[in-house]
Formats: sequence, structure tokens, C-alpha cells
Amino acid sequence: MAQAIDRPIPVAGRQSEERRESYTALVWRKFRKSKIAIVGGLMTIMLISMGTFADFLSPTDPITPNMQSAYTRPQAIYFIDADGTFHLRPFTFTQKQVLDPATFLPNWEPDLTKPYPIYFFVQGYQYKLLGLFPSRLHLYGVEKGGTIFVIGTDKFGRDIWGRVCVGTRISLALSLTAALIIIAIGSTTGIISGYYGGWADNVIQRLIEFLQSFPALALWLALAAVIPITWNQTLIFIAMSAIFALLGWTGLAREIRGKTLALRETDFIMAAKEMGASDRRIIFRHLFPNCLSHIIVVMTLTIPAIILAESFLSFLGIGIQEPLVSWGTMMREAQSLQTLGSNPWLMWPAAFILLAVLGFNFLGDGLRDAADPYSIV
Amino acid sequence: MALSDNVILEVKDLKQYFPIKQGMMQRVVGQVKAVDGVSFALREQEVLGLVGESGCGKTTAGRAILRLYDPTAGEVWFRMEDGERVEIARISQREMKPIRREMRMIFQDPFSSLNPRMTVRDIIGEPLVIHKIASGRELEQMVEALMRNVGLDPNYMQRYPHQFSGGQRQRIGLARTLALNPRLIIADEPVSALDVSVQAQVLNLMQELKERLGLTMIFIAHDLSVVEHMCDRIAVMYVGKIVELAEAETLLKRPLHPYAEALISAIPAADPDIKQKRIILTGDIPSPANPPPGCVFHTRCPYARDICKVEAPPLELVEPGHYASCHFAKELHLQGIEVTA
Repeated sequence: MAQAIDRPIPVAGRQSEERRESYTALVWRKFRKSKIAIVGGLMTIMLISMGTFADFLSPTDPITPNMQSAYTRPQAIYFIDADGTFHLRPFTFTQKQVLDPATFLPNWEPDLTKPYPIYFFVQGYQYKLLGLFPSRLHLYGVEKGGTIFVIGTDKFGRDIWGRVCVGTRISLALSLTAALIIIAIGSTTGIISGYYGGWADNVIQRLIEFLQSFPALALWLALAAVIPITWNQTLIFIAMSAIFALLGWTGLAREIRGKTLALRETDFIMAAKEMGASDRRIIFRHLFPNCLSHIIVVMTLTIPAIILAESFLSFLGIGIQEPLVSWGTMMREAQSLQTLGSNPWLMWPAAFILLAVLGFNFLGDGLRDAADPYSIV
Repeated sequence: MALSDNVILEVKDLKQYFPIKQGMMQRVVGQVKAVDGVSFALREQEVLGLVGESGCGKTTAGRAILRLYDPTAGEVWFRMEDGERVEIARISQREMKPIRREMRMIFQDPFSSLNPRMTVRDIIGEPLVIHKIASGRELEQMVEALMRNVGLDPNYMQRYPHQFSGGQRQRIGLARTLALNPRLIIADEPVSALDVSVQAQVLNLMQELKERLGLTMIFIAHDLSVVEHMCDRIAVMYVGKIVELAEAETLLKRPLHPYAEALISAIPAADPDIKQKRIILTGDIPSPANPPPGCVFHTRCPYARDICKVEAPPLELVEPGHYASCHFAKELHLQGIEVTA
């Protein structure tokens, strides 16, 4: 009798299908409904692609200086030439410097004598795709003798667009590393603090309060200044991640502790104890997965915070140094008002910082709404 | 109570107090006496009902017996499958782990007693994994068998709890409880959170399983009509103490304790024409942090006298197999109900 009621009533004329109702499927379904979340997701994917395929997207070598093109104005792309003819293939003009007759200040003018058609999927400088496969393929480029700087060049004549793409790697990777460290330390500490309580909880909470009362910038400056110059790039990268994580884990620890305190009283945790589950099993198999949605959301919101912090420090000249490229180090060139006044395109990296921060924030917002579709607490 | 050979569980003067802490230094200013001296003996394959209103300590008693709390005082003697008697109120959690295979609990709330992030297969299989009984394919086969036992389609193994109804979830919980073939089950209000129609299904299932698997049960509930259906003996609890303990039919027909009488009079009759004469107790249930002196029920008892205010009556044998803790148990003629078979 009981079985008849429990089995699903078959719909006439159709086989009852096993719809995948896993947790991930549920989250995705809810996520899809929020336009902002999708936008954020796309922006994030775009940024990650920029970083991964940086060399493919860059027409010229972003590292090697090219002094004769220093501080070039962004080049316009044209489809219609001087005679009014429409060309399917866009073209551009290289810039040449002319002295203004009145002020004797250098001005950039397009050299209209020779249009350079823009070709796609061209052969250019050598690089390693994904760090493994040697390749010379680039998305776009012009023939030898011409230049194509879509958002101008910097002090050393390097294409800013190419450098922005390369800078994405460091900026994203650093914030991701720091976020992962924050998650590792913060969630562990939070769960231990909430689950065990007692003196461990007391000590950890006082430590968190101590760390949170530190002025972050001062601490970062001090720690970054202590990094030995002799360290190689990888070590500096790891050190900077650790520095950002050092003060960042406390917020997550507090939140996870709260969540653990709530989860601890639920029946399924009591059921696990009643079965004889060890503390370790309860923490990793029961508490942690129920905190995971919260952790993922915090991660997507921590990353932009660290991107901003890293940009800020690099802008001040602390931490990431040349030849490593990050958005912050690129902003360093935009420091002097005079330089910025003559070459306003040096500000472009800020737009990408903005894009990254917005993108991750939108993504995090969407995830927060979508995660925990059927949670208990 | 004579220690007969087929006593599976013996609880002696079990006390579970929770400290009340105050102030920055967390000084202990009082105790919540959730369970205040509970004693009973449970025979093999018997179903003992533990009833009382909310806050009387029945859930705490059940959890204390299973060592989900560390009892403040008292003894709990459990007879293992091989016949050995172990005292489980004092042992460490590590020593308790193998004993947990034989005594399990069913939880009240089907919505919060299953981990929402685990599949049904993992939920039911977890006890088997913890006690290292099976893994992989063998584990799945055992989970399939358990699911069939409780009336669930094994094809649903990969689903998550939120995809099931309340009654089905309670069955999942039941399957999880039966996974290790326990001999004693403490059912903590297993049907209170379900609709009446679903209650009947789950209760029938539990009865069938009890008979088939030879289970002993402690059935904690606040609904006497459910308990009447399921239980051989009933113990009535009030503010941490057992006030009456008797065979189910005897208790309902002729209660000896005024509180039991009041509870029984509140059972709704299934006939709207019957004008029920309910005994409405005056006052509120006392706080277990501050139980009244003397008999714990005297503040609300319609039959209370002076002695009740000073001297606490012990739970003693009044008639064969019928215990009550009231000074006037033999004299009062209390009203019961007719029990339909």
C-alpha cells in the first residue's frame, strides 16, 4: 500500500525521465534567471580569456621596448577611405610626430600617405600558447613597417592593449591565489572556532579582533617593504598574495563561524554524531559542504577587493615590480599629472580594473542569490 | 524491578542537568534540570512510549541514553547482542562507538535531519561507511535493500532530500537508522512533523519493521493517541521526572497520577457529538531550572494537599506492573478512557 503512493505517477504517453536535480544544476538554473549574473559571468570569462590568450591578442611584443613609438596616440580604425570608398577590410594609419608651429609642442598626426590594411590571424612575434605550444599566430596585425596601437603606447613604446592583456594574468592570478589562501585559512579557522567553542574559539576570536584593528595599508606597506629585492618573481608573487591574505581571512572566519554555530544545532549534525561520526568527518563531510556556497560567494567578492588593493600598492610602487606586468604597475606611469595630461590614453588600464571589479561583483551577486536553493539554515 | 534475562536496557536514576552561565566570566548560576532522576527497565521487543508535554525532558532523556549528551548522574545499562551488560553513561565516546551500532535514533524533523548536500545513497550509506562495514558496489546493494525495506524505490538513490516529501524523508531517516541492524531504536517523535494520513503510513511501516526485525523501541511522543496505537507500556514524564509507568491499556483505562488523567482527558475523540470533559490544568508548567519543592506537579494538581508541597513522592509500585509517583495514588479514583483494541 505504501509503495503505491511513493512511486511517481506515470504521465500518460511519456516515459518518466530522471531529471538531473543535483545541487549544481539547481544553482545554475537559478543563476540563469538573473541578467546581471550572466553579464558578470561573461565579463569574467572575457577577462580570463584575455589573460590566457594575451599573446594571441597582442599584435606586438608587450615586453620589448620600442622607443621610436613611445607615447603614441591611439590609432583610429577606418572603413571608408578619403575617396569615400567602403573597404570591407579595415585599415589604419601610422602616427607621425609633428611639431605644432605655434607652441613647438609635439603632436601626433596620422600619416595619410600610406594606409595599412588590418589583417586577421597573422603571423607575428613568437610566443608560447598556454605556456606550452610555440606559436606565431596573432589575432590581428598590419604588414611590416606599420603599427597598430588601438589604445596607444606607453613610455617605452609598448602597445598598451597587449600589456593590459598580459597584466590580466598577474592581477587575476594574484587575487585568485590570495582568495584561495583566505578561503583555506578563513574557513578552517571559522569551522574550528564555531564547532569546538571553548578556549579555542576564544583565542581565535581575540586574534581576529587584533588583526582587524590593524590599519591594512600601513601593514601592507611595511610587509611589502620587507620583501628582499633579491627574490625572484615567483617568490615575490607568492609573498604579495600572502600579504593580502594575511588580513583578509578574518572576515570569512567570522562568517563561517556564525554559519557553523547555526549548523551545529541542526538535526543532521546530531544524527551524524549519533551514528558515531568522528569530529573530522562531521567537519569535512557535513559542515564544510554546507558552508561551500557561502565560501564561493565570498571568493567572488574577495577577488575584486584584492585586485583593487594590488593595483593600489603597485601604483605606489610597492610589491609587484618591473618586468612583471599588472594593471597597477601600468597605472604607475600615469602618476604624473603632466604625463597624464599629454598622454591621457595611459589611463586605459583603469577601465579594465573597473571591468574586472564590476564583473566579479555582478557574478558574486548572482551566485549569492542562486546558491543555497534548498538550505536548512 | 527484577532483573530478568530479557531486559535490554536499564536506566537508573538518570539525571541530565544543563548549566546556566552568566556574565563575562561565564559563572554557573543555576541548572536546567531537564532530566531529574528517570528510571525504568526495557524488555526485549517491547515498545515503551515516553510521553509528556513539550519541555518535560523526554527528548533529552532519549538523547542522554544514546550519549548525545554526557549524563550528569545515573546509570544506563545496555545488554549487547552477545549478552554482555555494559554501563554506557560513563564511558568515553570512543568506547561508545561500537555500541552505537546496536542502539540508534530516529529523528523528529524530516526536513532538518537529512544533510541537504548529500544524496540519499550517501545519507543511508553513511553509518555503513563510518563503521567500515561495506564500500563501493556492496554498499550500494545494501543501501538498495534498505530502501526497499522502508518502501522507497532504489532508483531514487542519487536524488537529494529536497526532492522528497516529508513522509518519504522520514522513511529515508528510518532506512539510515536501520542500516546497522540495531536492536534498540529510540524514536524521537518520528511522526509529529507529518500529516495525519502520512503518520499512519509511517507508523504502520515502523510496526511492520519492528515485528520483522525484532526491534525494541522507545517511542517518544506527545500525542497519546499515537502512543496508544504503538506502545506496549507507557511512561508519562513531567518536568524531568517519570510520574507514571504502566501497560498502555491499563494506563489509559485507569490512570493513577493526576497528570496522566489530565493528559488522557485531552485526547480528542473521533466523534464530534461527544462532549468531551477535558480536565484543564490551572497555571503553567514550571521551569526545569526552578522546579517546585515536593511533588513536581503540586502547583497544578487539582488534588494537591499539604504533604504534596513538601515531600516528593517516589515512583513506586502501586499495582502489579503499574508505577506512579503520587502520595494518594491508591486513594484517588481517576478517570480514564475506553481503549478500542
